[in-house]
Amino acid sequence: MKSTPLHWIGESVRDLLLLVPLPMVRVLFLTLLAVVLLWILSLPRRETTAPESDGRSGANLKVGAAIALVMQLAIYTLL
Amino acid sequence: MAETLTTPDYAIILLYLVGTVGIGLVIGSRIKTGTDFFLGGRRLPWWAIGMSLVATDIGGTDIIGVGGAAYAHGMAVSNFEWIGCVPAMIVAAFVFVPFFYRTGIYTVPEYMERRYNAGVRTALAVCWLIFMACNLGIMLLASAKMMSALFGWDVTLCIAVTAVLVGLYTLTGGLAAVVYTDAIQCAVMIGGCLLVTGLGLYEIGGIEALRAQLPNPEQTQLILPADSPSPFPWPGIFFGLALILSPAYWIGNQAIVQRSLGAESEFAAKASYVWGAVLKNLIPFIIAVPGLIAVAKFPDLADGDQAYPMLVSTLLPVGLRGLFVAAFIAALMSSIDSYLNSAATILAMDIYKRFIRPDADERQLLTIGRVTTAVFLTWAVVFALLLTLLSEESGVYAIFQTLMAFFQGPALAILLCGVLWRRATGVAALIGFLVGVIFSISLFAFTQEAVLAWLGWKPLFQVSEPFLYFSVWAFVVTLSLVVVISLLTTPEPEEKQQYVISRFKIKSQEEVAA
Repeated sequence: MKSTPLHWIGESVRDLLLLVPLPMVRVLFLTLLAVVLLWILSLPRRETTAPESDGRSGANLKVGAAIALVMQLAIYTLL
Repeated sequence: MAETLTTPDYAIILLYLVGTVGIGLVIGSRIKTGTDFFLGGRRLPWWAIGMSLVATDIGGTDIIGVGGAAYAHGMAVSNFEWIGCVPAMIVAAFVFVPFFYRTGIYTVPEYMERRYNAGVRTALAVCWLIFMACNLGIMLLASAKMMSALFGWDVTLCIAVTAVLVGLYTLTGGLAAVVYTDAIQCAVMIGGCLLVTGLGLYEIGGIEALRAQLPNPEQTQLILPADSPSPFPWPGIFFGLALILSPAYWIGNQAIVQRSLGAESEFAAKASYVWGAVLKNLIPFIIAVPGLIAVAKFPDLADGDQAYPMLVSTLLPVGLRGLFVAAFIAALMSSIDSYLNSAATILAMDIYKRFIRPDADERQLLTIGRVTTAVFLTWAVVFALLLTLLSEESGVYAIFQTLMAFFQGPALAILLCGVLWRRATGVAALIGFLVGVIFSISLFAFTQEAVLAWLGWKPLFQVSEPFLYFSVWAFVVTLSLVVVISLLTTPEPEEKQQYVISRFKIKSQEEVAA
């Protein structure tokens, strides 16, 4: 069975990834979710609420998006 | 399970089918124009679109297949619904969906021509058409085989009945019928599966009792080591799924994006994705957790795909089994109708209107939309029947994911470059996309035993289903090519660069509608 440069690249990447401890991987997953959550919370109000002409001027999509992401953070912390 | 269905069960199934098709036909009677047919007249509410997004993503085969994968490999399969959906949906909701909505496009390939050129549009449209044509046949066959195995019904009859039912309302009502029936199907699907999970956990004695009865603690873990023998080690999940396939699916998949383009307002389009993301949190609890319950209750099943049906047979009383069967049929119909409608939209808008009849009016577009829907439906039935003659070497779930992985990585790369980087050029996008697709198909070929034996090579990947890795490498190759070739070619003119998100002039609601 022959190895090629493609095999060498793949195995090198795999060896590197095997060095990463699982607790660090969990931090990586949680960081991705936390970054998206912080970005959502920092969005200006005009991008997350309906214009007055829409008839839904009280609704803010930040709430729903934050709920979805906080649930994800809880899930990836616990499981 | 067929022998456990009784008259009340069949009554529930019939009630669901008649109700769904009836609603679809009523909506169909109000369709007057091409915009009505392809984008629901841009009057669709956020809650229906959000539920439709979830229902489209979960097919009948997923309910059984994800339950089976959870039985075999544990909760890690849930990553496909969680990290593999929620972050990408939220980013899409506030960045890409409102941008596409403001451009007033019908299809993602249409955006590619506005930003790049007709070649990129056609290449992407052809890839989508090939994928959807194959996928429609595969979905029809997979669902029919599963119905046959579960209920003892004839495969050919199942294909024909599913095609007629889905065809009736998709052909007449277009996207609006698809979205509203999907919303009903989503509710039925969640209700039916929630019942199985709830009764299963009650019988086992709760979540802690379930954990205690699982033979392997890794079965409840979402994050598996890089050298895990399961198909879901963390590098594939994080880099392949969360960063590539998931954004490609929620931002660039025509069957998904199209329904948000039919929203009644830009706010409704954003809200639909947020609502879908909230619902997505629930899905693994109702389709993956039953797989774990089955591990505790039936530890010696030869085939994981029997896990969910076994639970339904033993847990649900007469009448409620019919609700599960209705949920299963709802899941498969909601996926088939969406891909059917989107395939017809691409064929009508990106091929017929673009190259054959550019001056087609709204009534002609409505006619061509219905004709192309009928053509795709007929093709899907024929393809499904042809596939019944072939032996099935690989699981349908893996085939579906592999087909998507061939061009999703390259498609995401050129889409991101087009939306975010004004220096990206059409020539670079076309070359990058085509090379990326060929590269992805080559990687697939190099995982096939016959090819490896002929070349005398070791396998390129050490996981059993490496489709997540195809998308990563194809994305990297395409992105690199687009960047390098763009810098070597002349920048696109201003009329193309205006379709970069930072330079796009916001259109009013009236301009979008026009």
